[in-house]
Amino acid sequence: MSDTPSEAPVKSILPKWVRGPQDFVGGLAMVAVALFALWASSDLQGMHGFSFGAGTAPRMFAVLLLLLGGAVALMGVLKDGPHIAAYSWRGPLFVSAAIVFFALAIRPLGLVVSAFAAFLIAAMGSHETRWIEAIIVGACLTLGCALLFPYVLGLPMPMFPRFLIQ
Amino acid sequence: MELFANLAHGFAVAFSPINLLMCLIGALVGTLVGVLPGIGTIATVAMLLPITFGLPPVGALIMLAGIYYGAQYGGSTTSILVNIPGEATSVVTALDGHQMAKQGRAGPALAIAAIGSFFAGCVATVLIAVLGAPLTKLALAFGPAEYFSLMVLGLIFAVVLAKGSVLKAIAMIVFGLLLSMVGSDIETGASRMAFNIPELADGLGFATVAMGVFGFAEIIRNLDHGAEMDRNLVQQKITGLMPTRKDLVDSTPAILRGTVLGSILGILPGGGAVIASFAAYTLEKKLAKDPSRFGRGAIEGVASPESANNAAAQTSFIPLLTLGIPPNAVMALMVGAMTIHGIVPGPQVMQKQPDLVWGMIASMWIGNLMLIIINLPLVGIWVRLLRVPYRLMFPSIVVFCAIGIYSVNNAPVDVVLAGAFGLVGYWLIKHDFEPAPLLLGMVLGPLMEENLRRALLISRGDWSVFLSRPLSAVLLAIAAGLLVLAVLPTLRAKRDEVFVESEG
Repeated sequence: MSDTPSEAPVKSILPKWVRGPQDFVGGLAMVAVALFALWASSDLQGMHGFSFGAGTAPRMFAVLLLLLGGAVALMGVLKDGPHIAAYSWRGPLFVSAAIVFFALAIRPLGLVVSAFAAFLIAAMGSHETRWIEAIIVGACLTLGCALLFPYVLGLPMPMFPRFLIQ
Repeated sequence: MELFANLAHGFAVAFSPINLLMCLIGALVGTLVGVLPGIGTIATVAMLLPITFGLPPVGALIMLAGIYYGAQYGGSTTSILVNIPGEATSVVTALDGHQMAKQGRAGPALAIAAIGSFFAGCVATVLIAVLGAPLTKLALAFGPAEYFSLMVLGLIFAVVLAKGSVLKAIAMIVFGLLLSMVGSDIETGASRMAFNIPELADGLGFATVAMGVFGFAEIIRNLDHGAEMDRNLVQQKITGLMPTRKDLVDSTPAILRGTVLGSILGILPGGGAVIASFAAYTLEKKLAKDPSRFGRGAIEGVASPESANNAAAQTSFIPLLTLGIPPNAVMALMVGAMTIHGIVPGPQVMQKQPDLVWGMIASMWIGNLMLIIINLPLVGIWVRLLRVPYRLMFPSIVVFCAIGIYSVNNAPVDVVLAGAFGLVGYWLIKHDFEPAPLLLGMVLGPLMEENLRRALLISRGDWSVFLSRPLSAVLLAIAAGLLVLAVLPTLRAKRDEVFVESEG
């Protein structure tokens, strides 16, 4: 399912010799991850004698990823490949916003408020959302979760805003 | 006759009221996500992982298993009636199934899909029971070197059978291995790449990453396409579920072939149910006297892939239960579920936790029986569910996932991490990197490191131990051979052909 919603405009900032931008950028990103991991694990002990130190395996995998990422990027130079697919901003933005809001709100505001608000924030991620309908479904979902998690499943979590309880 | 005693014990466990209930819930939820396009099995199992926390381990695993094979049933319903595969495993079913529905034969198509699935499920259940004990004995003879080589072979298999670039899939595995290194070192306790964040000291939560990469990323990706999916349901009422005599005669050999092929491909690590359904369809088309019938409503084109995907979904439990090695991403999540409950997957599980293993095996047969009832007479209800618009479904999933992740450790940081992995997953999809190998790498990472360390410690640092021990050498040789085959141009073309088939 690699089909993309709309073809990216062929207006690449990459130099001409990059024939498969999707692979090229993807490979470089893997190289970056590997370099970051190498840096992050550089303070760990390496091999001592013939036994592994804490840092041996992470560095081993990082070097492997470095090589593989490099190879993927190289493929992007040598072979014609697809352009980088167009990103949309609306979905990722509002879904992430809903998640972050939930994480920040769950402790101080409790499940009921944060779940309902997160639902509405996430709903903004689609331009097809109809608000009355969304509010009704959001309220039902919140009620369902408020019953399911603490009572049916026995997972304790704050339900209502802290300032209301005190 | 140990087998019968074991199975009897398993049925005793599975027939307890709580486990029957769990099995039913799993089958229902599985059918639900199978029917609804846009929610995958992997995402669902990831979503429900945290919920199983409060359940007894046997019940939890029975439920999660039910979701996996239940989805194989449900997926076919959507494929046949709407021409949109509810699951990746039902892509090929849509080819002939929907044509049959258009010709007013939706009933027989659904019935054959369910009967084929049920038959395959029964065979696979027996196969798991039969193969379980001997494979476990074999696994107990494995030393660390053999284990390491076996895991390498498993990962290579996963790469070879997966769709897309071999190189990128290997890169994803290594990325997963690297992610699994975050946290504390098992031997020295040193904190690795945790940046003094207390929530990372125990490592990245498996459920967190899975939920991000599969749950959130899938939602964001779906929103790209516009929330409204094209759902042109076959409107006329489904009449006459019973297939004709000719249908049964035509589909019986196809069901048998699909079951055999699916069972074999399920045991092999890698594609599991998805590849099984593709391969079964291709095989039927090759064997048919008149291949031009395919794509125009040939009943074999429904019977065989549906049997194959269900057989494969179930036999993929064999490597997990006997060797402790997950052959695909869903099984990797099952490992996650086991670890949440403090069970270390591996050959010892079968001896130490007979309730768990045999209870789960027996529950699969019960679950299949439930599914045929859930799916055939109740098909109308599931069809009505297809009218729930995605614009209401996706915010619900987001909230549900967020609460679920939070409940695992009561840690808001986990929720943010899952969100971040959602964006990573979205980026990976955009760059055509498959996220499933990443999950496999992440699960196998700690195991691989441990066995590698132990093997080298025993051999006093001599790397040739992996080649000097015969079993290990054979496993590695197969892995190397597969890898070479996979990059050979001729086989690549063949492999891509299997996948292209559906997109036409």
